[in-house]
Amino acid sequence: MSGGAKVLIIGFSFAMIVVSFLIGIWAKRKADTAQAFFGGTALFGPFVVGLSTMSAVASAFAIVGIPGIIYATGNPMSFWMLSSAAFGMAYIILGKKVRAMAELGPISSLGDISDLRFQKSRYIKAVMSLVLFLGCIAYLAAQIKGVSVMFAHLLGWNFYVTGFLIFGVLIAYMIIGGEAGGIMTQAFQGLVMAVAGIIIIIGFFVVTGGFGNVLDAVAKAGAITGGGVTKKMSADFLNAWGILPGQVSMVYMLIPILGTVGQPQVLTRMYALKNPRDMPKLGLWAALSHAIVGFLAIVMGFGALYLVATGKIAPLAKADTAAAVFADSLGIWGQLLFYATVLAAAMSSASMFLSLSAGIISRDLPAAIGMKAVDGKTQIKRFRITMGVLGVIAVALALTNDSMVAILGTFGWGTLMSATFPVFVVGLLWKRASKEGVAVGISLALVLNVICFILVQNKFKFPGGIPWYFNVIVVSIAATILVSLFTSGASGKNLDRAVEKVLDL
Amino acid sequence: MERKQDALMVAIGLMWLAILVMGWNGVWLPAMILSVFLMLAHMALGATHKGKIDKKFFLYPLAAWAALWVASFSLSAYFADVFKGTVPSFTILGFHPSFAWTILTYWIGGILTLSVGLYACRDGWLSEADWEGFKKEIAEIKAQGGKA
Repeated sequence: MSGGAKVLIIGFSFAMIVVSFLIGIWAKRKADTAQAFFGGTALFGPFVVGLSTMSAVASAFAIVGIPGIIYATGNPMSFWMLSSAAFGMAYIILGKKVRAMAELGPISSLGDISDLRFQKSRYIKAVMSLVLFLGCIAYLAAQIKGVSVMFAHLLGWNFYVTGFLIFGVLIAYMIIGGEAGGIMTQAFQGLVMAVAGIIIIIGFFVVTGGFGNVLDAVAKAGAITGGGVTKKMSADFLNAWGILPGQVSMVYMLIPILGTVGQPQVLTRMYALKNPRDMPKLGLWAALSHAIVGFLAIVMGFGALYLVATGKIAPLAKADTAAAVFADSLGIWGQLLFYATVLAAAMSSASMFLSLSAGIISRDLPAAIGMKAVDGKTQIKRFRITMGVLGVIAVALALTNDSMVAILGTFGWGTLMSATFPVFVVGLLWKRASKEGVAVGISLALVLNVICFILVQNKFKFPGGIPWYFNVIVVSIAATILVSLFTSGASGKNLDRAVEKVLDL
Repeated sequence: MERKQDALMVAIGLMWLAILVMGWNGVWLPAMILSVFLMLAHMALGATHKGKIDKKFFLYPLAAWAALWVASFSLSAYFADVFKGTVPSFTILGFHPSFAWTILTYWIGGILTLSVGLYACRDGWLSEADWEGFKKEIAEIKAQGGKA
């Protein structure tokens, strides 16, 4: 990479970090209550919430990791990245019910909704918070590690300085602006991702001449050897299922589509919307911006395949360099926009998961274990301290402990889904979902997440090659439903009258 | 009405289990198609108002989406089998005939039904009157000293 390109990337990245910081400070005036500070509750319109939701969902892994998987295995992962319809589905399933819960009482977190639905069950809140924390901290560590490594390598800076500089600013603006600031900065970062995505997609068509040329090149390439690496290609690579067993496509389709409704970054944004009647508009903004970013990941994977198939570059020694290698082929502007997109994706996801983790530690878990409630100002003070301490610990651990990041990497989308489906999806769609049923379902989710983690570490293979988290999700949902059929706590006739109105809405 | 919802939720649990078992046994295409009905059941429950679903909303976007995705997976599987191990004799917009349906029906079709459909038919999902009525009911419960 040329010196000019590096200067441009540094300049643009610095500008983006500064603008994010300024937005975070500006948002402070919006965060004047505990609900606004913790949840941005009922504060924003559909455009801001839509971009914020998309950017928090699409992490740096979507921009860097997914093109690598497509390069390595073909199209199964395309199902995941083309899951833009998931937002409409999520809002149809739970949008009005989650937003309506904010009319019943002060809602600042998912734990507050759980309290209202399950009559302040401390057990459900505690276990759900633990599983959510596991998933959130995993995402956070992965964003910190990935971006610090990439930018330190790119710019030739010290790894620790790079990490603390980028995420130090992020921690600072999240402490100042809270979740209200987080939503606004994520919306800005989402806009950067969408605009950069459109330009890179255009670049893909310029470089390759379109998908027909990619298919033609890949179908005819056969086995290509270069730099000591051999890459086998065929037309089957680019059919719908790629070169993996079909059940992988099944999981990569169902889990992101239906799982989106169970992601905290989607659920929390449902109650951040000012007017619930704007939720369909929110669905459109989220879907359109996600469509751009999802397609971006696809074209970068296809672009790398094209470059190798046509002999323009040697086969990649590491598949996860596919996106960066393709960006290089676009020239200086392609490189600039690629790194800006990665940075925006990492910062938006990291800020969301930092805020959620801090909320769990400072608010939800203390309440769940029976600690005395405090006033709003004290809550905000505790949240800020927790965010600062947790943020610094997360950055330090992510940068110094490779094995911990790898271990945490086991948890993620599926872990979060296993925590939220019993409580919110089953709980808010079904009046008969009982306190006991949800307690059993979510307990199984916690235990099985840990057991499966141990099994995965010991190279255990689940039947049919189905990912472990799919098994956990199914067991937790089925147990919730089964136990609810025979128990009645906080369900049926024991439902709170106001909650019943929400479930009827 | 609540019995119907109980039955639908039990069906959801059974569909999850069936999809998992089919996945274990490599019966993945029927599992993918069954998962469309799993998602449809979730959306039907979510779109229900006081136990009833707006029929027009059920037809479009929900049933239209389900039909589109069942067709999508079936066509992808068909063309993947037809051109297995060979170079396809034609493309659709430059895509492999199997992958083209992921683009046209799964991705774009999904957005046009669920996202655009939710916007176009928003009153069937949540009308102004239903929302205002809900807020009034909650205000009354609060005024009566209810737990809300």
